Amino acid sequence: MNLFKIISELEKVDPEIMDRLTHRRSALTALGDLSKKMAMAAAPIAIGSAFNKALGQNTLTTVTDVLNYALLLERLEYSFYDQALKAATLTVPLTGAARTAIETIRAHEMAHVTLLTSALGSAASPAPANGFNFGTAFSTYDTFLTFAQAFEDTGVRAYKGQAVAIKTAGNPNNVLQTALQIHSVEARHAAHIRYMRRGATAGNQTTIMPWIVNADANGAPAPVYGAGNPVATFPAEGNVAQGGITNLTTALGATYDAADVSAAFDEGLDSTTVTNIAKSVVVF
Amino acid sequence: MSNITQKGGDEAEFAKPLYTPIKRRSFFMYAGATAGATALLLSGCDDDDDNVTMNNGTVSLGSGDVGVLNYAYALEQLEAAFYAQVVATPYSGITADERTALTAISKHEAIHRDFFKAALTAAAPGQIIPGLNPDFSKVNFSDRNSVLTTARTFEDLGVAAYNGAGSLIKTNDYLLIAGKIVSVEARHAAYIRDLLVPGSFSGSDVVNAQGLDQALTVTQVLTAAQPFIKETLNGDNVGK
Repeated sequence: MNLFKIISELEKVDPEIMDRLTHRRSALTALGDLSKKMAMAAAPIAIGSAFNKALGQNTLTTVTDVLNYALLLERLEYSFYDQALKAATLTVPLTGAARTAIETIRAHEMAHVTLLTSALGSAASPAPANGFNFGTAFSTYDTFLTFAQAFEDTGVRAYKGQAVAIKTAGNPNNVLQTALQIHSVEARHAAHIRYMRRGATAGNQTTIMPWIVNADANGAPAPVYGAGNPVATFPAEGNVAQGGITNLTTALGATYDAADVSAAFDEGLDSTTVTNIAKSVVVF
Repeated sequence: MSNITQKGGDEAEFAKPLYTPIKRRSFFMYAGATAGATALLLSGCDDDDDNVTMNNGTVSLGSGDVGVLNYAYALEQLEAAFYAQVVATPYSGITADERTALTAISKHEAIHRDFFKAALTAAAPGQIIPGLNPDFSKVNFSDRNSVLTTARTFEDLGVAAYNGAGSLIKTNDYLLIAGKIVSVEARHAAYIRDLLVPGSFSGSDVVNAQGLDQALTVTQVLTAAQPFIKETLNGDNVGK
């Protein structure tokens, strides 16, 4: 949920960002109309220069920074699933086991919001006053699942990208372990969403596995699976070099496919890259 | 340390920038300081358990980050051996989809195993644990439920082990690597769980009311894994 961390950072730099973004909404609507004609993956919604202003200071140096970042991401995820479960367009397809699974995931995201809010106490950033607008994400069941996969895979990458920052900040109250415990739950969600996409309802996309094979976007926004910054620390999901070993396909005493090597390791993402992914798919 | 202390009278010389011409006397002083520091480092790594396999069949995982790497290596060995057997002797009624996915998982675990072996070979070749002998006598590899239930145990245990060990890791690079692997184990766990009981990918038996996955101590994990390994593992100094 690093997406959310970004937003809270923005609020710190520019406390009135939510207000100013709201005033821009009419302009954004025009952009939105244009983007409806395009595939979801090609529907970036520009949030404006406010984001970029904050990116210059986008270094999360304290544990409070990291937790607020996580809180924003979790709020976004909770809102995403909550809106999906209430969306009229998804009433018919989102039934039975699929609905139960999404309700389970929503409950976990709510629990994460509660946990992080409690941990932060008075240091917790306020929730975005105008909530989140996911544009056309709920137009069809397939689109919804594609967005969900993108959010979950990004969430996994985002938490992973902050592990060293928490450690460097001194890991107070064993925050690192708590973050890891959230991180693996997000990975379970990601696997299940991918499993759902694989199913008949989403169009028998049997190439989609519960794990990320190479840097395959599977229709989700390609940057979700691309490299972060710096690339050496945050390579793309197709990466086959780990721990100073340049190519695990041939360097381990046995020959492995690049697809299997890439799938055996999830990659982290820096907060700047996560922010850029977030602003391409979310309106505040 | 004693070497450095004895040279205390040469502190001013010692502090000189390295680019000044080094006189023969001070060269030996640097050499002595380095030897002292190296001895200190090695004593910190070794303790008294540099014999990884004891006479009684006990395998010590060692201490510090090397201990954490050996700990991960032991668990990945167990998982890799298990899935290799699953792929070699598929359970009756296995579907094409299941076979494809379980084959992929077996590759992931073999890659993890071989990666840790390579990392340990680079970091501490004298302290790497040997290949372990798994004990799968309680698993019925022809029975789907027996295989998947065991797989679920291993995957959930792997996630909890990595989650619990993260805070023990001192080296940033190792922490990153552990993070890259734990989420893949969680993806495996979710998939196996969905095969056993649809929708149980993050059931309340592994994810608590706070939305947190399990995190287990080294002792807890080894206790759970021990019945599947013929050697006795000692993880008392892992991360210390």
